[in-house]
Amino acid sequence: MRATDNQGSFLNRISIRRNQVVSMDGNHEQELEDLELFQKHVADRFSDLLLPKPSSAGDSPSGADALLSIAWFRKLLDAFLCCEAEFKAVLVMGRDPAQFAKAPLDRLIPELLDRAVKALDVCNAITHGVEMLRQWKKLAQIAVTALEQRPIGEGQVRRAKKALTTLLTSMAFDEKESHHGKSTDRNCSFGRRGVAAANKDKTAGNCRLLSWNFAKSWSASKQIQAMSSNLIVPRGGEPTGLALPVYVMSTVLVFVMWALVAAIPCQERTGLPTHFPVPRQLGWAQPVIGLQEKIGEEWKKKEKKGTCGLLEEIQRMEKLSQGLVEFADGFQFPAETDDVAAMVAELAAICENMEEGLVPLQQQVREVFHRIVRSRAEVLDVLDQVGKLSTPVPY
Amino acid sequence: MGDVMGDFAPITPTNECEEHVFIAARHMLKALGTSKNVSDDLRRLLADVDTHLSRRTQITVNMIDVTREVEEQLKFAQEKIMRWESNTSTIWASGPEKASDYLQAVYDIQRLTASLRSSPSSSSGNQKELLDRAHSVLQMAMERLEAELLHILAQNQQSFEPEYVSFHSCEEDIVSNVSIVSTEDESIGNTSRRDSSGTESEDHIVDLVHPDLISYIKSIANVMFASHYDQEFCHAFTNFWKDALDGYFFALRIDKLSIEGLLKMEWNCLNGKINKWIRAVKYVIRVYLAGEKRLFDQVLGEFGSVYSTCFVEASKGPMLCLLNFGEAVAIGTRRPEKLFKLLHMYEVLADLLQDVDSLFSSEVGSFIRTEFHELIMKLGDTVRATFMDFGHAVALNPSTNPCSKGVIHPLTKYVMNYINTIVVYACTLNLLLDGVQDGAELVPFAQNISLDNFCPLAHHLRSLTSYLEHNLDDKSRLYKDSSLKHIFMMNNIHYMVQKVRDSELVTLFGGEWIREYTAKFQQHATSYERVTWSSALSLLRDDGNTSRKSILKERYRGFNIYLEEVYKIQTGWFIPDTELRKDLRISISQNVIHAYQTFIGKNSGVIGEKHINYTADELENFILDFFEGSPMRLPSTHKK
Repeated sequence: MRATDNQGSFLNRISIRRNQVVSMDGNHEQELEDLELFQKHVADRFSDLLLPKPSSAGDSPSGADALLSIAWFRKLLDAFLCCEAEFKAVLVMGRDPAQFAKAPLDRLIPELLDRAVKALDVCNAITHGVEMLRQWKKLAQIAVTALEQRPIGEGQVRRAKKALTTLLTSMAFDEKESHHGKSTDRNCSFGRRGVAAANKDKTAGNCRLLSWNFAKSWSASKQIQAMSSNLIVPRGGEPTGLALPVYVMSTVLVFVMWALVAAIPCQERTGLPTHFPVPRQLGWAQPVIGLQEKIGEEWKKKEKKGTCGLLEEIQRMEKLSQGLVEFADGFQFPAETDDVAAMVAELAAICENMEEGLVPLQQQVREVFHRIVRSRAEVLDVLDQVGKLSTPVPY
Repeated sequence: MGDVMGDFAPITPTNECEEHVFIAARHMLKALGTSKNVSDDLRRLLADVDTHLSRRTQITVNMIDVTREVEEQLKFAQEKIMRWESNTSTIWASGPEKASDYLQAVYDIQRLTASLRSSPSSSSGNQKELLDRAHSVLQMAMERLEAELLHILAQNQQSFEPEYVSFHSCEEDIVSNVSIVSTEDESIGNTSRRDSSGTESEDHIVDLVHPDLISYIKSIANVMFASHYDQEFCHAFTNFWKDALDGYFFALRIDKLSIEGLLKMEWNCLNGKINKWIRAVKYVIRVYLAGEKRLFDQVLGEFGSVYSTCFVEASKGPMLCLLNFGEAVAIGTRRPEKLFKLLHMYEVLADLLQDVDSLFSSEVGSFIRTEFHELIMKLGDTVRATFMDFGHAVALNPSTNPCSKGVIHPLTKYVMNYINTIVVYACTLNLLLDGVQDGAELVPFAQNISLDNFCPLAHHLRSLTSYLEHNLDDKSRLYKDSSLKHIFMMNNIHYMVQKVRDSELVTLFGGEWIREYTAKFQQHATSYERVTWSSALSLLRDDGNTSRKSILKERYRGFNIYLEEVYKIQTGWFIPDTELRKDLRISISQNVIHAYQTFIGKNSGVIGEKHINYTADELENFILDFFEGSPMRLPSTHKK
């Protein structure tokens, strides 16, 4: 992976330089330069993410890594991992632990750690969500298999419709559960009414693709709110320059988690903030704000339309599924199948895309998880040296 | 599969146009055959081809009859399948014959579909309609079978009630209040030690569904795969088991908690959850998932890798849920009392490593495998860090108030009971403290590091006791009375030695350590005697100045006052160990009584019998009151 390659060499460079800094004892210029560089890199990476502008058509794919597509998220997580590695180098390496005990870090660091823990839970919720996307992909794949056959007959149409109805029910179920927090009501219909449905409702368990991995009270949007609530831009005259990188990294973390929650089915997303304040005057913030606005805009649209996550592939999948179900509802044998062929081909392409992208995405989310765990441990180690957390013997 | 007609499909003419080509070809063959330029071999070959072609042409001619026959067969099978559409009970419930009859009908349809699809005139209207009908019936049958599958699974899923009922009680239990001090001489290891209970049920693999049904489920799988409905089968089957495991978690009382929630949880509560988790992990991996994998193999095994893919699909989510709990515990605040639970978790997971490696041996399972290894390593790191932290905490333990009566400090008790408990995990700790971190070398129970006083753990434990000793030394400085300081040190070091000598720790600490520390507490005993008694004894000593009566009297009075004072104070001190108490008193007696006796014997005449306050025997009795922990006064009225 690209991210990890960069990171290794970068860390080396930083650490070598750090050592020099330490030996020179209090060379603040070097430190400021590091900070400058860190912010520049954040800006560069997020500009890169903003760059492939989606076409105004909106629903048509505008390239391999269109905004909010799987490929885009993989790029985003790569960027996160790079920023994170760099941040840690700035924050921890060669750092005098005593600084952590002084204001404002004595407040900022615990907040940072708290955000990290919340992010871990978000990562887990997302891993779970990606697992569900894979289920959806499988259902869509069944429809593709059925409708790719020629000639298309009643049997194929019913087969496709059954799979797509389950898919759409699951998508809607996600929404419903998100909005009303009800998960007990798991009755699903499979659009099989009239076809000896009586004994077939036993398949109802089938639409239970969704069982969240946390207690019912857990809410992704609340997590995001809590993570962003204490994001405060450091004032100019802070005694240590570290307040700024902590703020930058926190913003990046919150942004990434927010985007993931917005895009991927996730436990309880009602009230997800459409934006959180990032000051425009900071150079690195521009692309982040740009992305935030675009995604926030999409989210607002979503809340009206009621889809199941902003992930580009999922939005298209939902639309195509609805179209194909419509086709199925009006199907009479023999039928004109040219329009369908185009839809099926697009759905097939999405399925292939998901087949290739989802597992790596899931692994990357896990990598982010482990990275956050490791970084948290390293920061805790520094705090330990300060002695703030030294554990008493509990006799 | 579509191989029934597939064998000859490629050379079968498929439309009328081709038919003409065939006829033309036969004419050409005939013409060639009569040519004089053709060799005998070639002529024979041409004749062969001719007969071959003629046979094909006949088939085409017969096709109309075949279509009629196909229609008949389709109708027959369709009726069989439709009959079940209005029936709400499972097919299986009406007996195996009915079930196999149904499956046969599905096979028939599927065969007919394939033959219609590849038949030479499949593009004709009639054939198309037949094919469509066949597909519809097949779809109907597939939906039915999917529903049947889920119904059968739900009805026949084996429950494991008896296995987990027993540990409903173990949630907030035993080890939850790990107060090593209160249960002074009973090591907490007794309770937190790997529980042997439950092992009997972990050694066999369970059947997740009743064995009688497996062949039926497999036959559903076979027919659905044969009809190219493998995706539907796998989806339904996998999701069923995913849900089942979710439900099983519920039965095992594994709550789905966020990492944040777990990190904020009180240790007592978390400890209870860990107990449940440990049981669940063992049971889920060794019994449940082993059974599940076998079932997947039985049902889907012959279709190649699909069985392991489905198995991983069905178990990945729940496994991650279990692993995340472990992650949360591993990254929690490090506290010494957590060490045993962490070690226990580590050992349980290390013990399950091979099971997990084989359960998830496939490529798709590598995700879980890697996560599992990573968690073990993380727990190992946490164990190591917690252990090292403990050493530092002991060394830095603040000394504020002196222990009254010079007794054993709670820290000493805590540390000694703590390391006594650790011994249970000696092999694992040895491995971890030796810095063996590499996943490949994880062999926790291989005992490849012998447990002696040279092993890494022994080294660390000796450091720990020396930290303790230094800390106690600091604490002893809090005493204003330097005699009490020695009593305190003697008591504590004696306690340490005793704890080591009377337990398995003895192999780790070794004879050398015991000798060294025995000498240390004996040294403190000697020092005590010197500090407390040397001045008193010097009063009784004959140093040549004892000839004058007044001096003798004065000395005797001084001794008495001193004794009275010491008696008042030191009867309040406490030596908890009876043996040690006795030994020290004997030693005091030997010195003091002997000196007193000599003094009295020599000088009673000078001092005057009536001025002698007590006899040597009485003095000996007084000394027996020392170190009992309740301050007393010397009976001053006695022989005034």
